[in-house]
Amino acid sequence: MEQLPLPTSLAEVEALIQALYQPNPPAAISRVQEVLHRLQRSPEGWQLAQSLIAHREDNIRFYAALTLIIKLNRDSAGLSEDDAKGLLENIIGWTIQSLADGAGNFVIKKLCTALVTYFVHFSHLWPNCIRHFTYCLDLGRGASLDSLDDALQTDVLVAKLDRQKLRMAIWFATTLVEEVGKTDMGAPKFAQVHNRLVKNGPDVACLLARGFSPPPDSPELRTQGDTLGCFQLVGPAINCFADADLFQPTAELFSDALANYSTFFTDEQYSTLASLFESPWAAEHYQRTLHGNHQEDGISFGLLILAYGDAKVHDLMHSTDNRSQRFLESLSGLLAADGHLVGEDTIFVPALEFWSTFIETMIDATYSDEETSQNWKPYAEQHLKAVVMHCWRKIQWPSAETFAEWDSTERVAFGEARKDVTDMLQSVFTLEGMSLVSFFANLFLQALAAQSWTELEASAFCLGGLADCISDEAKYDHELSKVFASPFFHLLGQAQGPIPLRLRQTGLALIERYCEYFERNAQYLPDALNLLFAAVGDSVLGGPSARSISTLCSSCRSILTGEAGAFISHYQGIRSSQVLDSLAEERIVLSVASIIQAIKDENQRLNMFEELYNRLKKDFELAVQLKANPGLLNLQNPDFLRGLDPPNPQSAPPTEEVALQIALRSMRCLASMAKGMQDVKESPVDLDNEPQSQHANSRLASLQENIMRVLVEVQRVFNTSGEAVEIICNIFRAGFSETEPGPFVFAPDVVTDYFVQQRFETPRVGTLLSTACSFVGSLYRGPKAYVPAQLARLLPWVISVLQALPEPEADTEISLNGIAFVDKIMSKYPDVLFQPHHAPLLEFFFLFTIKVLDGNEPLPKSTAAEFWANFIPLKPPPSPSNPQLQQTIANAMTHLGPLVARSLVRNIGGRAARSELDKLCEPLKKLVTSQPEAQNWLHQALIFEGGEGDGGGGDKEGCFPGAGRVGVEERVVWLRKVVG
Amino acid sequence: MSLCQNRLQEERKQWRKDHPFGFYARPQKNAQGVLDLKIWECGIPGKEKTIWEGGLFKMVVTFPDEYPTKPPKCKFTPPLFHPNVYPSGTVCLSILNEEEAWKPAITIKQILLGVQDLLNDPNPESPAQAEAYNMFKRDRTQYDRRIKQIVRENAAP
Repeated sequence: MEQLPLPTSLAEVEALIQALYQPNPPAAISRVQEVLHRLQRSPEGWQLAQSLIAHREDNIRFYAALTLIIKLNRDSAGLSEDDAKGLLENIIGWTIQSLADGAGNFVIKKLCTALVTYFVHFSHLWPNCIRHFTYCLDLGRGASLDSLDDALQTDVLVAKLDRQKLRMAIWFATTLVEEVGKTDMGAPKFAQVHNRLVKNGPDVACLLARGFSPPPDSPELRTQGDTLGCFQLVGPAINCFADADLFQPTAELFSDALANYSTFFTDEQYSTLASLFESPWAAEHYQRTLHGNHQEDGISFGLLILAYGDAKVHDLMHSTDNRSQRFLESLSGLLAADGHLVGEDTIFVPALEFWSTFIETMIDATYSDEETSQNWKPYAEQHLKAVVMHCWRKIQWPSAETFAEWDSTERVAFGEARKDVTDMLQSVFTLEGMSLVSFFANLFLQALAAQSWTELEASAFCLGGLADCISDEAKYDHELSKVFASPFFHLLGQAQGPIPLRLRQTGLALIERYCEYFERNAQYLPDALNLLFAAVGDSVLGGPSARSISTLCSSCRSILTGEAGAFISHYQGIRSSQVLDSLAEERIVLSVASIIQAIKDENQRLNMFEELYNRLKKDFELAVQLKANPGLLNLQNPDFLRGLDPPNPQSAPPTEEVALQIALRSMRCLASMAKGMQDVKESPVDLDNEPQSQHANSRLASLQENIMRVLVEVQRVFNTSGEAVEIICNIFRAGFSETEPGPFVFAPDVVTDYFVQQRFETPRVGTLLSTACSFVGSLYRGPKAYVPAQLARLLPWVISVLQALPEPEADTEISLNGIAFVDKIMSKYPDVLFQPHHAPLLEFFFLFTIKVLDGNEPLPKSTAAEFWANFIPLKPPPSPSNPQLQQTIANAMTHLGPLVARSLVRNIGGRAARSELDKLCEPLKKLVTSQPEAQNWLHQALIFEGGEGDGGGGDKEGCFPGAGRVGVEERVVWLRKVVG
Repeated sequence: MSLCQNRLQEERKQWRKDHPFGFYARPQKNAQGVLDLKIWECGIPGKEKTIWEGGLFKMVVTFPDEYPTKPPKCKFTPPLFHPNVYPSGTVCLSILNEEEAWKPAITIKQILLGVQDLLNDPNPESPAQAEAYNMFKRDRTQYDRRIKQIVRENAAP
């Protein structure tokens, strides 16, 4: 066959390549191929590839890439190192350019193959090929290898790639694995290439991780599909564990893949890994994890076996074979590495994570209907015992000196790890129940006998962690009594005893957590409370102790009634010697009051109450006197020191401030008394019978009068304090919910008297209005006879506050609660509300609500919409006390209908926010279904609002937004839909 | 297993692996002690260097059957004094609103961090309770004092 002559110009070469892809007789194609091959092999081949690569036609670019591959395979030995580096930059540049130009996938894949061919020949020049390629992709050009040092982390680079570039990077990685996999690993030349490939593992993992996570908007599954190809790495990579240099990256790669894509490993590969973990090599790594330095040597091996365990957790749990048992043993052993949590031992927390998963898997299997055989369970439980024991050891506090050396992060992390252990124990309890409680109770007693305080603390901590699971069940009391009857609590009570601070804390917390236990076992209660009271003054233990006291006293009140006097003395005693934290004091007062509440004999109860109240009354008197006479201040006296907030100020605050704080603190204590005096019994409520009116006896009545006088006086003296008003409201609220007489269950008249004396200028008047709403709610639950008179007195007061507002939106709390108050009266007593003499008040109120409806404040607006949704369909039955009732309502509606229709149209027409529409549609619905005139009103409103009627379009004020875009026709269509 | 359960399993796994300091989030246990993945008990610490620092606030997160298509409901128990918390305790936050910024990709960690941010950075555009909203707008000193009091009552252990 006659050979064609070599082409002499680029145009001729291009023509030949085109000819290759056109329909031609086979002989002609062979001749073209032959001449092109000759050209590729000639020294000009490099030049040729470079010239053709920029061509716009894909076939020619593909041919150029092919030429590069041929040249690399044949002639790479002839390139100098510098030339080779330059060549790499160029190939990468061309590849990226082709992507940008929109070249076909077959061109880009061929260029990726060219890059891989380059790696096979020059892996020593391009060891971090994935990272470098990703870096260049991010830059959008070929970059020199040296510049890689300044590049961002690979995962950051990967995260920046767009979907197209990411896909190209994955193509490259896949081809890399495929092509290198085809070479003989045994041959010295390629062994290095394999090793370098594996070192790229973590970078490949970054690509995979991103490749598998779907893009936020439109998931393009092809990237995921392409990513799958990379998994061919597994086989050769397992072999790299044994290489000391490769161990770390290989372990990280596998941990990552096992954790995130566990199903991609075949059974065979899992089995290979399992055998690997049984090798002497693994034993050595394991020992290093247990006894080595985690900061310096890392914990890669530990994380690797945990990741394997996590991936195979179901199989491992169900297996009873020796290999699985040994493996699980090694995983529980990770909880017992040398060193303290978390600074030294960094494997504990991940190991605990694994075991928590294991235990949850056990729980699921235990309670699942699908499981038939549970013969695996005894094996699994055996491991749990080791896990619990290791954890108990690990969470023990270090010595004070060691702890002092830890930084704050280490301390917090230690606390968090202890919490994680509690979570885990609660799960174990689900499986083991009583035996777990006995286990810790016994450890507690052993540690106590040995005076091993850290072990004792850990045992008490673990028992405390189980409190949520067991404290309300009597069947565990037997085990708990071993603990609570032990001499430990006697030791705890000794002020100068041997018990270190942390153990004291944990011991006191244990008492609080087992509150229900003490309710059932009252014999231990006084000792427990004495312990807690003794700790109240302590700066560290005071807060938690006071909380424990209030929990215990509140729930065990009826057992403790005989101790009320002693507790008041306790309180007085502490107060005379020191200043308690104010919250702790409030909690103690609450505790004592809750015991007093449970005293059955009324005289006895009031005696105790007065004793406690008189203490607080003295504080109020002191505050008032101090305000009037600043010279009285004596900061040596604890009663004055109570007024320092914060307790140790840098400079002495003004006396007036001290007086205010004494008053506020005492008021908060009084509010705590009110809360403590609330009845906690759940007595049945008879809904059919009218509640009987309760008359306070004369002693109670004079006590109430006294309390009321004190409150009013304190508010008068400290008349700018919003907090004082707020606390008074809380005191009232505590009484509103009560059904039996009590010192804070004031007669309705007394409460109303208080409210109507308040003015718009009173601080926190909005809160007063909301309290008035609660008051009305409590009146409705009481005898009906009282109600109308109170409502009739309160209504003018509420309206007067609204009238004082400069504009409806000036104070949202006032507007909202004012409207809610009227709504509440209307719901049950419309006859009272629409009394003829209220007409001027109501006229103001209705217009006020329409202004609120037209306004911008979402909360009062929504309350106003609710009010209208209730008012529009209002049709009360005839009322003897108000014969004009129905006529009054009908007249009001005739007058207000057009106005409210207009406001609704304005809002629904665009003024209201989307989130407000649901609320605003309610009154509209009611309008349409219950008012015959509604269609007319709405029609008028639509025309008016469009500016077509009244004002001829000049009235911009009334227009709904976008009215100009909606013609009369469309408005009528809308109305028809609404009304139809 | 349903999409909802699957996703919650994964959320639980991720949370255990990596969660921000001071927070907790765990599924509730039912009477048998088995986890109910659709109700989580969470704790949100006040952010450092804000008036909320030192507090730990309990919140219950309830996932609907349609999760993650629909967002979970977050409710402070007891209800919290805050402009964007309804009197019932329910949190009003755009990322928790199906019609606003909820996306199925939002994780529990992101939700809890979002609520933590909201504590010190209320959104006055979406008030949910009048008391806190009004005080926040009208009397910031009093508002700050009140928050400090609440933080003391809910001190992190």
